[in-house]
Amino acid sequence: MAELLIGAIALAAGFGAGYLARGRRPSAASLPAAPPDRYAEKVADFAGAVAPVWSAQIDSSRAQMETAISQLTETFAGIVENLDSVLASSAGALAQGQHGSFDRSRDRLGDVVGSLDEALSANHESLNELHSLLGLNEELRSMSGEVTRIAAQTNLLALNAAIEAQRAGAVGASFGVVAMEVRQLADRSQNTSARMVEKVDRVAEAINSVLAAAEASGEREGNAVAHANGEVQAVLDDLMGALSQMQSSSQELERAAIGIRGEISDSLVSLQFQDRVGQMLEHLRDNIARFPEVAATLDSRALLAELSSKYTMAEEHQAHTSQKASKVSESEITFF
Amino acid sequence: MAKTILIVDDSASVRQVVSIALKGAGYEVITANDGKDALSKMSGGQRLHLIISDVNMPNMDGITFVAEAKKLPAYKFTPIIMLTTESQDDKKKQAQAAGAKAWVTKPFQPEQMLSAVSKLVAP
Repeated sequence: MAELLIGAIALAAGFGAGYLARGRRPSAASLPAAPPDRYAEKVADFAGAVAPVWSAQIDSSRAQMETAISQLTETFAGIVENLDSVLASSAGALAQGQHGSFDRSRDRLGDVVGSLDEALSANHESLNELHSLLGLNEELRSMSGEVTRIAAQTNLLALNAAIEAQRAGAVGASFGVVAMEVRQLADRSQNTSARMVEKVDRVAEAINSVLAAAEASGEREGNAVAHANGEVQAVLDDLMGALSQMQSSSQELERAAIGIRGEISDSLVSLQFQDRVGQMLEHLRDNIARFPEVAATLDSRALLAELSSKYTMAEEHQAHTSQKASKVSESEITFF
Repeated sequence: MAKTILIVDDSASVRQVVSIALKGAGYEVITANDGKDALSKMSGGQRLHLIISDVNMPNMDGITFVAEAKKLPAYKFTPIIMLTTESQDDKKKQAQAAGAKAWVTKPFQPEQMLSAVSKLVAP
């Protein structure tokens, strides 16, 4: 719509300027016959009527374009800023996820599994102690047997001594009493030894019972720790897999975001046309505003010279001279 | 610490394009709509490492702005790049005489602008 309007205005202005530049009066066929001063007055009236409308339309178009492009650039700039912000936070979150949360989780779970391993190891040591205790108990049983045998031999020896004492008669009477006492001691030793063996057996039975329970418990704990270790590793593997997938998706999104950012930036660069076209329209508007003042004199040179003096861009000068649209010049950089 | 650049241009689209290019390269950016607005923002003694100014602007044109900015002790040595559609050599000479360090014509590519900026101030 704005382009059509600008085109129509440019055509009209071109027609007017071209007509004035050629300095020809219209033919009798195209205009009603009138005296020259009357004709100039009519041209002035015509210019006075159309120029403000043309100027207003150009100004309106320029203002609309400026507003629209400003809003567009602001929106684009906002998108670019948001993309930058999202890209920065995404990279930070991923780095934090991999090197922060994941590593911390792995270390903490490792500590838990380590504690279980330590407890299991302590249980093994206890079992070894129980085995040692069982061995000592067996030694005790063996020693009790030895005591029983010694007591039996002592008993036999005391019996022989008693027989010899009796054979000796009155002289051996007191020796016979001693022999009798020794036999009684040997009997008591045998009885004590028998009770010891009985106690040793009960202790062995108790130790065996505890050992069996501890071994069964140790096996269960070992299996539980091994299972926990496997589960922890599986969870960590799953977590790492999910994190890698997220990282991969995030990298894809990042690449897409960078691409979009670049395209928007390029589009923004193209929107610089508004600044240039706005200035061109301003120059044209100001020149059209002067049209009524010079219309009566039909002095196109003055009007065009004034227009030319306002030009800032090379393509304005080129278009003015060649009366053809000209290409925008490349940017130049000069250092002073 | 990021260097701060003041962009002075009456075109919002140009201000945005220059801002995005400079921010992307790590500079901090302040903007002003014309020379008068820029001088007002500089009155507080804001630290500026570079100024990029348009030439043709309402209220106060770029060349007058450069001359006025150079009168301020805080900005006497602040480099100024003129960014303009202006093709006339006499305007370029006026800008140089007023104290501008470089002259860049629009439309520009961000890389060209950043190249000119980095020659005068590193990010």
